[in-house]
Amino acid sequence: MNFAEYVLSTVVRDNELRESMLGDLREESVRYARRFGGSSAARWHLRQSLSIAVRYGVMRMLRRKPPIRWISIAAMEPEGPWWTGLTRDVLYARRAIVQRPLLSFTVVVTLALALAANSTTFSLMDALVLRPYRFAGVDRLVVATTEAQDASFFDRINVTAADFREWREQSSTVRNWAMYQWWDANLSGVDVPEQVPAFFVSPGFFELLGSRPIMGRAFTEGEAQPGQHHRVVLGHGLWARRFASDPNIVGTSVRLDGEPYEVVGVAPPGFTTPDGAELWAPIALTDQQWADRRNENFGIYGRLADGATVEQARAELTTIVDTQRRDNPESNARRYARLMSFTNGMADPGAGAFIGIWQGAALLLLLIACANIANLLMARGAERSSEYAMRLALGASRARIFTQTLIEGLLLSLIALIVSIPLLAIGLGLSRGSIPASVLRFVPGWSFIRIDIPLLLATALLGTVAMVAFSLLPAVQAMRSQVSDTLRQSGRSLTPGRNRQWVRSALAATQVALALALLFASTMSLDAADRTVNGVLGFDKRNVLVAQLNLPERNYSEAETRRRFITDVIDGMRGIPAVSEIGATSIIPNAFNNQSRRFFPEGQDLKEHEARFAQYRSADSGYFSAMKIPLMRGRPFDTSDRVDGQQVAIVSTSLARAYWGESDPIGKRFKLAIDGPWIMVVGVSGDVQHNWFVRQFETVYRPLSQTAPYSVAFAVRTVGDPNALAGDLRRAVSKVDADQPIASLAALDTLVEERAAGFAFIARALGVVGAIALVLSLMGIYSLMAFLTAQRTQEIGVRMALGAGKWQVIRATTKRALTITIAGSVIGAVLAFALGRAMQAMLFGLVATNMSQLIVLAVVLGTAALIAAYLPARRAAGIDPMSALRQP
Amino acid sequence: MAPIYLGEFEYAVLLAILHLDEDAYAVPIRELIEQRTTRPVARGALYTGLDRLESKGCLKSRMGDPSEERGGKARRYYSVTPAGLKAIRATHDALSSMARGLESILATDK
Repeated sequence: MNFAEYVLSTVVRDNELRESMLGDLREESVRYARRFGGSSAARWHLRQSLSIAVRYGVMRMLRRKPPIRWISIAAMEPEGPWWTGLTRDVLYARRAIVQRPLLSFTVVVTLALALAANSTTFSLMDALVLRPYRFAGVDRLVVATTEAQDASFFDRINVTAADFREWREQSSTVRNWAMYQWWDANLSGVDVPEQVPAFFVSPGFFELLGSRPIMGRAFTEGEAQPGQHHRVVLGHGLWARRFASDPNIVGTSVRLDGEPYEVVGVAPPGFTTPDGAELWAPIALTDQQWADRRNENFGIYGRLADGATVEQARAELTTIVDTQRRDNPESNARRYARLMSFTNGMADPGAGAFIGIWQGAALLLLLIACANIANLLMARGAERSSEYAMRLALGASRARIFTQTLIEGLLLSLIALIVSIPLLAIGLGLSRGSIPASVLRFVPGWSFIRIDIPLLLATALLGTVAMVAFSLLPAVQAMRSQVSDTLRQSGRSLTPGRNRQWVRSALAATQVALALALLFASTMSLDAADRTVNGVLGFDKRNVLVAQLNLPERNYSEAETRRRFITDVIDGMRGIPAVSEIGATSIIPNAFNNQSRRFFPEGQDLKEHEARFAQYRSADSGYFSAMKIPLMRGRPFDTSDRVDGQQVAIVSTSLARAYWGESDPIGKRFKLAIDGPWIMVVGVSGDVQHNWFVRQFETVYRPLSQTAPYSVAFAVRTVGDPNALAGDLRRAVSKVDADQPIASLAALDTLVEERAAGFAFIARALGVVGAIALVLSLMGIYSLMAFLTAQRTQEIGVRMALGAGKWQVIRATTKRALTITIAGSVIGAVLAFALGRAMQAMLFGLVATNMSQLIVLAVVLGTAALIAAYLPARRAAGIDPMSALRQP
Repeated sequence: MAPIYLGEFEYAVLLAILHLDEDAYAVPIRELIEQRTTRPVARGALYTGLDRLESKGCLKSRMGDPSEERGGKARRYYSVTPAGLKAIRATHDALSSMARGLESILATDK
């Protein structure tokens, strides 16, 4: 049975009638063939069959008689309950998809990639930024601190005990309060002493956060008294790691800071509030400590009273703090209230910005994918126009065709969603793996990075929205097929109307623009990430081993004991041949903490709040040589800098330039507190990047001999692998004090990398997205050009038959591609530039818009696009003109 | 039974079937009408007309024998029913009564 008979068969379902019709046609066509020849007859046969089919189909539609046993492929209105129509549509859609496997595969893969990228960022955004804390009632919790009037987000100051007590008494909008205090607890009495991040907390702490120990209990009121307070709740991780999950741990005793503490409970898994806590003990203050208004030691959480809002609480606290400021001018002069919801208060400000950028990139990628898919579907739609025309002639309504095309799109996106799930799993796995273990402690909500139902639903929703977006164009196009045009042209190929061509060209240009913007954003971030790790840091991070410790106040309350500890350890290491330099400082670059003081230069009579902050460090001369921090002017610290002599300091180049311009800073004096001693500058060092996100280079170094910090970091330079010295350094420390744990022991370059790990990951992720975007947009251009040249094959054939050379043909066909590429690149460049500026603002000036890079990218993209357009054109030019003309 | 009204084309088709008697299937019906009326007849129109007439009850059909020439497909033969004959006569009467008295004008030179 040939095509014509097939068509007739679908229209005429009455067997006898159909048989007679087919027979009649054959009979007559035999006669026709006798007169006019076989191929003529075949064409005649086709024309007649189609004409009969059209007539008959129209008649049937008008008559609206239910057809006999017609399992039509959707030409007629369905009878029966509504789902039979839907089933029919779905089956038809399935058939349409299976018939074009390459196209369907491309669409599915494209959409799946874009969906997976988006849902990975959704999950990260939700877990790390939006809802990192998920315990019950977290939205009723607030964080309260004080700040100086001109403080930035980072400068939150803790609260004093006396201030807090008044808040607790006077507040009505906050029902429950809890206070906590950081404690670097030295866990000893086990094989290796360890410093554990711990907190002193008020008794209601666990209850406030909606948590309860899984073994034992939390603290009672009575235990929050001095003398009764040697109780501890262990963190779940610590219990598993150091105590082998001993089920009988409650009631036993552990040694913290050299003293016995009774274990009263074990916290539930995943509970590490605040800030990676592994251990909690009760706060026990004496009356005198409660009356203290000077020492800002405590962090404060609160739970809102029923019916109260954050704004109300904030207003009330502001009033209370303002009163405190009035009543206590010496101590509270700089304290202003700040109250935030729990999630905001505990958030890492950078995380939101970074993940937000990645989310934006993923959405752009989805846009590009949709544009691509729309293009592909429209191309197929144009090829199927004869099919649509047929269906219209056979009685399908335009609404029908529209719905069916949408259903095809739905089916494709459903398949894409299923395919995207394993991709999503890979993406989440990679994300989780990118956060180094040492940083993990400080990343709340990390355990929520997983595939769960809400995530899948969100992805499905996104996929559906995207599908509707990219199916609309082809569906509308299908709907507007013209019946008569199609059927009348039996020998000509169809050039799509100009309107349709414009839309597709616009789509392709948009893809180019978006891809360029994405590529630029990703190269910028990759650059920035590389700079944070391998850029100019101000010191040489290679071959240096770093040990960070905190000397507990209990054992080292005398400054001299601390100094002696440091010198003893250094002496212990000097004997080792592999050590080329060794020094100590208070805080190493890329540590998790920071110290700054206000800077009061001599001659400028600055008030307290007028003085700017400078980074504050203690160091010995060995430190500068171990880290290879250059000394630009003056002299290093030496033995003449004694604790009771002239107080000296080395300042960084930026600081010197900021306060004293080009004049020689050596000999100039300053203070670090309004009532502090005068300090003289004896040297100027190079600038050092303390942290990749703190752009503060103004630093003051005080000699260790005149200060005595509690937090100490040893920097040991060696010739080979710094990790080889780890054992020696440990031994040197334990020889001086066996109970002193080392908080962290790592090579300096590892520290730098780990600190920038998150940023580097985002940058790489952006790179992946950019690469996918590039591939998609090139694909888009290629498919568009391939389609257009295929459509114009006849025209090309004519031109070549009339004498056009190969190159002329190629030039003509690539002219459109050139326009698309140029338009896309220009728009893309503008978009990229805007995007770059936005990123710069969002990321604290980390990234720099590099114009030359943008131009290079645009050229590369443009060239790639032109090649993508050239290939089909070249193929077209290689066609034999005769076969091009003959092509139906 | 309610009277059946025939359109012009349907009238011609029924008359052609009457002419053809035993051999009335689609192909000769169409040829006869085209030949006598000198007007082109679309096959699709013919089939739909036959279908309509059959559903109106003016025709009945039967299947013939399959033949080689038709690729093994049988013919469908049509014949006029009594009701159809009645309709033909009614139409004929109506048309002739309208034309009565105008013979001189209506006569054409053939």
